[in-house]
Amino acid sequence: MENLQLLAMIQAYTGVGIGLIIGLGALGACVGIGIMCASFLEGAARQPEMIPALQGKVFLLLGLIDASFIIGVGLAMMFAFANPLLSVVQQ
Amino acid sequence: MNTTNNGLATNNMISNMMRWQMTATAVAAVLALLLSGLHAFFSVCAGGFSVIVGAYIASMILKRNEGNVDPSSVLINLLKAEAVKIVVIALLLFVVFKMYAQLVPFALIAGLAAAAIFSGAALAKTDKSI
Repeated sequence: MENLQLLAMIQAYTGVGIGLIIGLGALGACVGIGIMCASFLEGAARQPEMIPALQGKVFLLLGLIDASFIIGVGLAMMFAFANPLLSVVQQ
Repeated sequence: MNTTNNGLATNNMISNMMRWQMTATAVAAVLALLLSGLHAFFSVCAGGFSVIVGAYIASMILKRNEGNVDPSSVLINLLKAEAVKIVVIALLLFVVFKMYAQLVPFALIAGLAAAAIFSGAALAKTDKSI
């Protein structure tokens, strides 16, 4: 019974953690992408001839900004499908 | 600076990014093989290649509307490519976690992180190729 309670508690807190990982990661990525896209539009309005040259750089930077979010998604999936914290209860 | 030259520059940038990602994944995979064995090696490869496949599909979407010069449509196209990339990566990770029973989770995260972070390293050569 005690083990079952422990298991439920670990799963509940893990669920909260997964939500925080994905939510805060998405928040940070969205703020970063918003700032970068605003700068891109500003640059495009000042120098429209630079748009094709900036496109590739914006794509690379989008990937870099999203890297933290993607890593967060990977970590969240690890906790969802192969939770290492559950091994404490099995012992 | 015409559209064809910029298209070539974008192609160079994308191939450069893929090269960096593959190198980072390969290095992480060899380290995992030496430290933890064959399953860690395959886990690093799975993590790295899910990011590489996502980036490749996103770059295909980017190339499709390359000649566009309207800033808002360029931006929408970029965001669409990024959204598809994230969905593809999440789906591939889900499949790996579900199908690969002997997965080493930390090795997968290492491969994923290496490939995702080193995608930005291609920025170092952008000034030479444009």
